Amino acid sequence: MLKKTTVQKLSDLAAGLMEKGALIAPVREEAGHNFREISDPAAVDLDFYNTLLSPKSVFFPHTEDFIRYKTGASIAEAVCVEPDIRPTVLFGVRPCDVKSFEIMDIHFTGTGKVDPYWAKRREAATIFGYAFDPNTPADPADFYSTLGIGAADPEGSDVFMIRKDQDLLLQAVSPKGEKLLSELPSLSDASADDQKYFDGTVAAGRTFKTRFTCVEAEPIAKKFEDLFHNAAFWEKVSEACLSCGACTFVCPTCYCFDICDETLFSQGTRRRVWDSCMFTDFTLEASGHNPRTKVYQRLRQKISHKYSYHIRKYGPISCVGCGRCTRNCPVNIDIFSIVNEAMKA
Amino acid sequence: MATSFKQIEENLKTEAGKLLDAGKVSMVLAYGRGYDEKHPLPYVARSLADVDGMVFNEYCTANLARYLVRYPRGTKIGIAAKAADSRAVIQLIQEDKVKRDDLVILGIPVYGMKNAKTDEAIDAKTTCGLYNPVIYDVLLGEEVHGQPVLSPYEVLEKVEAMGQDERFAFWKKELDRCIRCYACRKACPMCYCDPCFIDQNKPKWGEKSPETGGNLMYHLTRFHHLAGRCIDCGECSRACPVDIPLYLFHKKVAKECEEMFGQAAGMSIDEKPALINFRVEDSDKILE
Amino acid sequence: MSFEPKILGIACNWCTYTGADLAGTTRLQYPQNLRVVRVMCSSRINPSFIFKAFQLGADGVLVGGCHPGDCHYNTGNLYARRRLAVTKKILEFSGMEPGRFRVEWISASEGNKFAEVVREFTEEIRNLGPQTKFKIS
Ligand code: SF4
Ligand code: SF4
Ligand code: SF4
Ligand code: SF4
Ligand code: FES
Repeated sequence: MLKKTTVQKLSDLAAGLMEKGALIAPVREEAGHNFREISDPAAVDLDFYNTLLSPKSVFFPHTEDFIRYKTGASIAEAVCVEPDIRPTVLFGVRPCDVKSFEIMDIHFTGTGKVDPYWAKRREAATIFGYAFDPNTPADPADFYSTLGIGAADPEGSDVFMIRKDQDLLLQAVSPKGEKLLSELPSLSDASADDQKYFDGTVAAGRTFKTRFTCVEAEPIAKKFEDLFHNAAFWEKVSEACLSCGACTFVCPTCYCFDICDETLFSQGTRRRVWDSCMFTDFTLEASGHNPRTKVYQRLRQKISHKYSYHIRKYGPISCVGCGRCTRNCPVNIDIFSIVNEAMKA
Repeated sequence: MATSFKQIEENLKTEAGKLLDAGKVSMVLAYGRGYDEKHPLPYVARSLADVDGMVFNEYCTANLARYLVRYPRGTKIGIAAKAADSRAVIQLIQEDKVKRDDLVILGIPVYGMKNAKTDEAIDAKTTCGLYNPVIYDVLLGEEVHGQPVLSPYEVLEKVEAMGQDERFAFWKKELDRCIRCYACRKACPMCYCDPCFIDQNKPKWGEKSPETGGNLMYHLTRFHHLAGRCIDCGECSRACPVDIPLYLFHKKVAKECEEMFGQAAGMSIDEKPALINFRVEDSDKILE
Repeated sequence: MSFEPKILGIACNWCTYTGADLAGTTRLQYPQNLRVVRVMCSSRINPSFIFKAFQLGADGVLVGGCHPGDCHYNTGNLYARRRLAVTKKILEFSGMEPGRFRVEWISASEGNKFAEVVREFTEEIRNLGPQTKFKIS
């Protein structure tokens, strides 16, 4: 059953959701919108294109504490840190980002080894997807249609939201979403017209075009395999790359991390901290040897991982075309252009 | 009248072409086409054929001096350098990272550069505010004159006027937002250390996690390492995905260095960097 | 409980550290709040030492070196003077109370001055109270 509310009454909806658990939603910040835990329902802001940082940190925080220990004490005295898992509503996620969760699930739960932190957080979350507006052009950096993602795909969300002028239409997609929606008194029933609009938008989203090029998993995986030893190609496309970590940290499908022991005096915490294959020391070995000393080798890793190794190992391309890496690259390196050039090479 | 961007682009192509054709340089560092007009890309031309790919427009903000240390010593390089960028080139020469003789500097007088993210003009608020390159072999347009010359330090007033506690709260709030992507140091022409102190783990200066302790250590030390060397190009702050106004701190340190040591970074190839130098007449007053 | 400041001293081997020794052997009284680390020269001091000391909970940091012109390595402290002046400005602009960091030139024969400086600095830090800004818990 399609439900509706208005943008003016968004804070009522937010307040209702906060009764169900932690609400994580887009808020306006200095540099753009970001997903944050909401304490003031009025702070939820749906007037954004897409968030600056991806929502991956909701399930895979930048820092995750695992163990607390005392130096000099026995291992038996170390304690596991219980993750803080609460029922969560993740609100206002764009379809490409919703898709990223499915890809990340492969690594954290789908390979036979389940990462309990990711799995429990995913389990505890209800996702409210939020359609892009197919009537306004996409950001020039986006290319999610290339990856087969529509501007208004409800798949993967528990509830899917479409904005209709000043109205917000909400459709339950999963039983979890269905149940939650039925418990929200601030929502009213939508009309048949609204339903038509909703379905029309989902359909329009499927033909909506961001930057587009025809990329298929198998041929592109092969292409990058063939290009692996083509240093000239990689040197050329990476000539501007600074080898910073901006692209990987904003990316919804980058999941590399480092395990760090942070000790202060005799108290320590073993924690997981995001890492980036673009960092110089990412591949530095204890012997001092570093197999990837050159910028081109690191950029090759980043792109081939997403568009080749990942396909070979798990099937899908590990990129959803959200455009964040391109938008945030200090020197405007664009993964879409590199993929295009690879296909021509 | 400032030379138009289109004209500068033409001149850039012509001069780069001449240099490559005559074999005077083996590469020219310039700007090339990005995924759209607004997002040009640092670009290297190695042959006459590559020259066509060059562009120059108001969004060509990257400081190309950053790339100079990447190529083997002795490589003959042509480099397109805007005002602040030319100061970075000078500073790198002072630090013996590149040799003057190995460079052909294609100076670009700039007026009307824009930040692609905000579309705001790039001026003395976030950079040194100079219009004309300090050093060049060829100038790709007419020098810009008659434009207001603003102090690059005026923007500091607000933060300088704060009390200690308020200022600490200000920086804590800003630096706590840092996600430690290190785009700032990587975009900086003066941050060429390998490894950077923050990547060392023996001793470990700061934690890797993006929290107050490590963030403060990373940034304060980096501000220190840039003292007397930062040429106020503003790249670090433009590179920052979360828009931390690093330039404010760098400007303050630069201002203090200028006052204490009587020299600004990157203004003359005959100077030594202020912090690897001293004068016998330096006074203890600076320690007060 | 009254506040007993924790102060890190970093002293060069040839002058200030020897001066501190002299203060000790001549049994001059000075507060016990200072813990001294010896370095070979004031120019060996990495500014990060100072930031780190504050992060680890120092309430004040005192650097001691030879008088300008007297450095065992001739010019070490002339470089150090410039560098530490910058450190001071950076601390100040970050919001740290400027009084928490001090540089003093104390020669090997100035045991008296050493004791005097420590007394005065300890008093100053005591007045400033505990340093909480940089401290990581
Ligand atoms: S592609 Fe851009 S964001 Fe990524 S490492 Fe290179 S310079 Fe940094
Ligand atoms: S610190 Fe920032 S402003 Fe200074 S030279 Fe480096 S990038 Fe430019
Ligand atoms: S922060 Fe310091 S150590 Fe790191 S690259 Fe910059 S100058 Fe070098
Ligand atoms: S670029 Fe910004 S977010 Fe990244 S490390 Fe520097 S200050 Fe932090
Ligand atoms: S040896 Fe004392 S300051 Fe250099």
